[in-house]
Amino acid sequence: MQTIKVLVANRPRLMRELVLATISDQPDIEVVGVLEEEAAILESVERAKPDFLIVALDPSEERPHICDALLERFPQVRILALAAERNSSIFYWATLDIHSNRIENSEEGILTVLRGRKALSSLEQDTKWVPRPN
Amino acid sequence: MTTVVEKIPVFLLAENRLLREALARILNKKSDITVVGAAPYSVAVLEQIAAVSPQVLLLDPYPAVRGEAPLVTVLRNAIPGLKIVMIGMNPDKEFFLQAVREGIAGYMLKDASAVEMAAAVRSVANNQAICPAELCQTLFDCVALQHPAFPTFQSKQHFGLTRREQQLVAMISRGFTNKEIAVSFGLSEQTVKNHVHRLLHKLGASDRLAAVEMCRGNSFLPA
Repeated sequence: MQTIKVLVANRPRLMRELVLATISDQPDIEVVGVLEEEAAILESVERAKPDFLIVALDPSEERPHICDALLERFPQVRILALAAERNSSIFYWATLDIHSNRIENSEEGILTVLRGRKALSSLEQDTKWVPRPN
Repeated sequence: MTTVVEKIPVFLLAENRLLREALARILNKKSDITVVGAAPYSVAVLEQIAAVSPQVLLLDPYPAVRGEAPLVTVLRNAIPGLKIVMIGMNPDKEFFLQAVREGIAGYMLKDASAVEMAAAVRSVANNQAICPAELCQTLFDCVALQHPAFPTFQSKQHFGLTRREQQLVAMISRGFTNKEIAVSFGLSEQTVKNHVHRLLHKLGASDRLAAVEMCRGNSFLPA
């Protein structure tokens, strides 16, 4: 069975532990790394080649800074940004631009997004990275 | 012979569904803790909590709830003996002191782990309080300032200072700003300014320094 590789790098610590508690015992999901600091994300993605990266979503709900740099270099990676305080999370992916979709911040919501990885892969064909105009 | 461990009933009150679900699963794995309910805040949640009689309530006071200041008081009045632990908090001195005044049993910062959360549940159930090391000094300062060594009778007779004004002049003498005094007393900064204005007027002092010197000169404050 092909597993879904996930790199977990969200904050704060409790939310990171809760994500790990949710996904680590799923047979089709493999946690390829856990990071406490965002600074190491690019290097870890290059090394571990995850399908998904999980980061924190700030209360402002602005797109996390790591999205642009990461998706430019690794457009095949999907990013799930989880809010610690609110009951919402945002899912980012790249085709010709960065897209996002709001999901419910729940165990079911996270697992649905991670397992929907293949459904999105059809969107990736014949696409290349084009930076967004400022 | 097997020993039956009495489990601590816990309720999770949090907006974030992931937090409720995953934390409940983690806590339920502990042999001495059972999560008897979990819900986001709503007007009906009080009845829901009371119905399951938790001993400990873990409260994630997300912004929508923070506006409703008396929530902790309301919960404690509705469920006598309930131990409330605020989780996911910032080290905000003002908010911390306000929460202590309302009667919380524990205050946990954002970087606390699930293991620490379980330990906190056990502690408060055992009548211990949980206070982050970063905020202990704030609590000590606040308590120390509630009872300043000040000759109440003399100062009242001499200058007609109220108890609050006596507390104020003692704090001013220790270099506290209006904002810091406001945090300690749970008052607005404007209210403290008004108190200070009246204090200066009663003493006939031109500024804070003069007020302190005047009280020291009359032995109402230690030199």
